Amino acid sequence: MDRSRRDIFGIFGSITAGAQAAMAAPAPAKPDAPQRAPHWAMVVDVGKCIGCQACTMACIMENAVPENSFRTFVSTYEVETEAGTHNYMLPRLCNHCDNPPCTPVCPVGATWKEPDGIVVVDADRCVACGYCVQACPYDARFINRQTRTADKCTFCAHRVHAGLLPACVETCVGGSRIFGDLNDPQSEVSRILKARKDEVRVLKPEENTRPQVYYLGLDPRFEGRVDGAPTLWRPSEARG
Amino acid sequence: MNNQITELLYVARDPAWAPWAVTYFFLIGLSYAATALSLPGVAFASPRWREASRMALLGAVITGVAAPVALLSDLGNPGRFLNFYLHPQATSWMSWGAFFLPVYVAALLFYGWAALARDLREASEKGGLFAPLRRLLGAPERPALVRLLGIVAALAAVPVALYTGVEVMVAKARPLWGTSLLPFQFAATAFVGAAGMALILERLVGAADPASERKLARVLVAALVATIVVGALWFAIALFAPSSVEGRALAQVAKSPVWRVNAVWLAAAVLVPLVLVLVRPVGLGWVAGLLALNAAWMFRWTIFMGGQNIPKTGAGWYSHPLELGPEGLLGIVGTAGLVLLITIVLTTLVDWSRFAAEPAPAPRAARIGG
Repeated sequence: MDRSRRDIFGIFGSITAGAQAAMAAPAPAKPDAPQRAPHWAMVVDVGKCIGCQACTMACIMENAVPENSFRTFVSTYEVETEAGTHNYMLPRLCNHCDNPPCTPVCPVGATWKEPDGIVVVDADRCVACGYCVQACPYDARFINRQTRTADKCTFCAHRVHAGLLPACVETCVGGSRIFGDLNDPQSEVSRILKARKDEVRVLKPEENTRPQVYYLGLDPRFEGRVDGAPTLWRPSEARG
Repeated sequence: MNNQITELLYVARDPAWAPWAVTYFFLIGLSYAATALSLPGVAFASPRWREASRMALLGAVITGVAAPVALLSDLGNPGRFLNFYLHPQATSWMSWGAFFLPVYVAALLFYGWAALARDLREASEKGGLFAPLRRLLGAPERPALVRLLGIVAALAAVPVALYTGVEVMVAKARPLWGTSLLPFQFAATAFVGAAGMALILERLVGAADPASERKLARVLVAALVATIVVGALWFAIALFAPSSVEGRALAQVAKSPVWRVNAVWLAAAVLVPLVLVLVRPVGLGWVAGLLALNAAWMFRWTIFMGGQNIPKTGAGWYSHPLELGPEGLLGIVGTAGLVLLITIVLTTLVDWSRFAAEPAPAPRAARIGG
C-alpha cells in the first residue's frame, strides 16, 4: 500500500476506487516471513499539487469533519519572483511525529502514537481541554464542535487497517500524496526518501518533532510560519 | 512581512482555550497570592498585618472557590472531569494540576474556617437568621491550628503557582508562551492582582484602615516592580538574543498594530497604578486596586487570547471577536456574578471589619514592660 493515484492511472488508465483499493492492499505475508509492524508515513510532492482541494473534501466526507473544520487542507499562496507570479500549494495535515509534542501533555492519556506510527485520539476519553491543540506546532489539531473532543488526521486509520489508502491519497488528482510503510524498503515512500533524500524536507525541523509527513519540493520559506501578506479567505469567519 | 508572498487560502483555527481559561488563571492567581498575603496577619498574628491579611484571606477564599468553576467550564466535556483522576498522566502538567488544585482549595477552606471560627461563634450569639449555621461552624480561637493550616495552605499554593505557569510554558509551539520567565510573570502579576483585590475589599467590607491600606500599597508597589523587572528581562532577552524563544515571540508580534496597542496597554496597566500608589499611598487605594486587577487580567488575556491569535504556520494573525455566549462574554459576566455571590455569602456570615472597633494589640515587649 504505497501508491499514489498517478501511479495507478499510469498503470491502468482508469480504475475504480474499489479496484484500486484491492490493488493497493498489502500483499499477504509469507508464512515463514517474520511479521514486521508497519511504520506509516506520507510523502507530499509539492510540485504535483494543483490545489484542487479534492483531498480536503475527501477527508471531510470520509471522516465526517464538521463545517469550518479541517483535518487536512491545501494552503495556497501567491509568490512573486523576478520570473513572474505563480501559485504555491502546500498540503497540510497532522505530521504523525515520531516525537509528538501533543501526546505527553494530554492530562488523561487520550492521545498516543500507535506502534504503526499513527497518532490517534480516543474520543471516548478526551475531555477536550485543548492542551494537545496548543502543543501541536503545526496547527493540525482542533476541538471538534460536534463531538466536543480533540480531532485531527489519523491517516484514515480505519481505512489503512482495512487495507485501503487514506481518503486524501485515494482522491489526490495530481498524485501529490504518496502513502506507505517506511519499514518496507520496497515501498514507494521508502524508495522515494532514499532516492531523493537531498530533496526531502519536513515542516519546522527545528522543533525536533521528527515528522512522518515528508515533503518534496518544499520551499524553505514555507517550512515554518509563513512570512507573507495575510490570507484573503478564512472559513471560520464565515460562520454565522 | 515578505510582500512577495500573499496567502490566498488558509484555515483560521478557533482558540482552543476560551476566555474561561483567562478567568481561571486570573482567579487562581489572585487566590494563591492572596493566601500568601494572609499569612503574616492571620496565620502568624502579626498586629501590623492583621487587617490587611484578613482582607487577603477573604479574597483568597472568594477566588479560590470560584476558580475551579471557570476551569471546569473551559473543558469541552466538563462531565468527563473524572478522567483526570481515573487516567492520571505523569508527563502532563495539567494532570498534576488536577491533583494540586483540590488539595490547595481544601487546605484554603480549612485555613479560612479555622481563622474565622471565633468570629462565627461570636456572631452566632447575637442570634439572627444565620445563627444556626454560624453556631455549627463556630469554634473557639485556636491560634496554633490557624498557624498550622495557614502554613499547609501556603505550601499547597506553591505547586498551584508552579503548575499554572509551567503548564503554559511547556507549550513550546507558541513562542509567546514558551519563555521560562512566564511562571515568574504569572506569579508577579498574581501578587499585583491580589494586592489590588485586598485594597478593594479593605475599602468595601474592611475597616478602611489607613495603615492597612499603606501596607497593601507597599505590597502592590513591590509586585508591580517585580512585574516590570521580569518584563524588562524578557524584552532584553528578546532584543539581544533574536534566536531565543523570547526573540522569536517578539519577531512574531512586532509588526502587528494590534500587538503594539497591547504592549502600550500592558505598560500603562503596570505603570499607572505604580505611579498612583507612589503618589497617593493612602486614600485612593481602591482605584489602585482596580487598576491592579486590570493589570493582572490584561496580562493573562494578552497571553492566552492574544497568543492564540498568532497562527503557528499561516501568515498574518487570526482575528477572533469575543463571543457573547457562555464561551465568551456571558462566561466572564457569569463568573463575576459567582464571585459576587460568594462575597455576599462570606460577608453576611462574618463581620470582616470587626478589627475597626478593636485597638491593635500591644507588642509583647510593651505588655511585659507594662
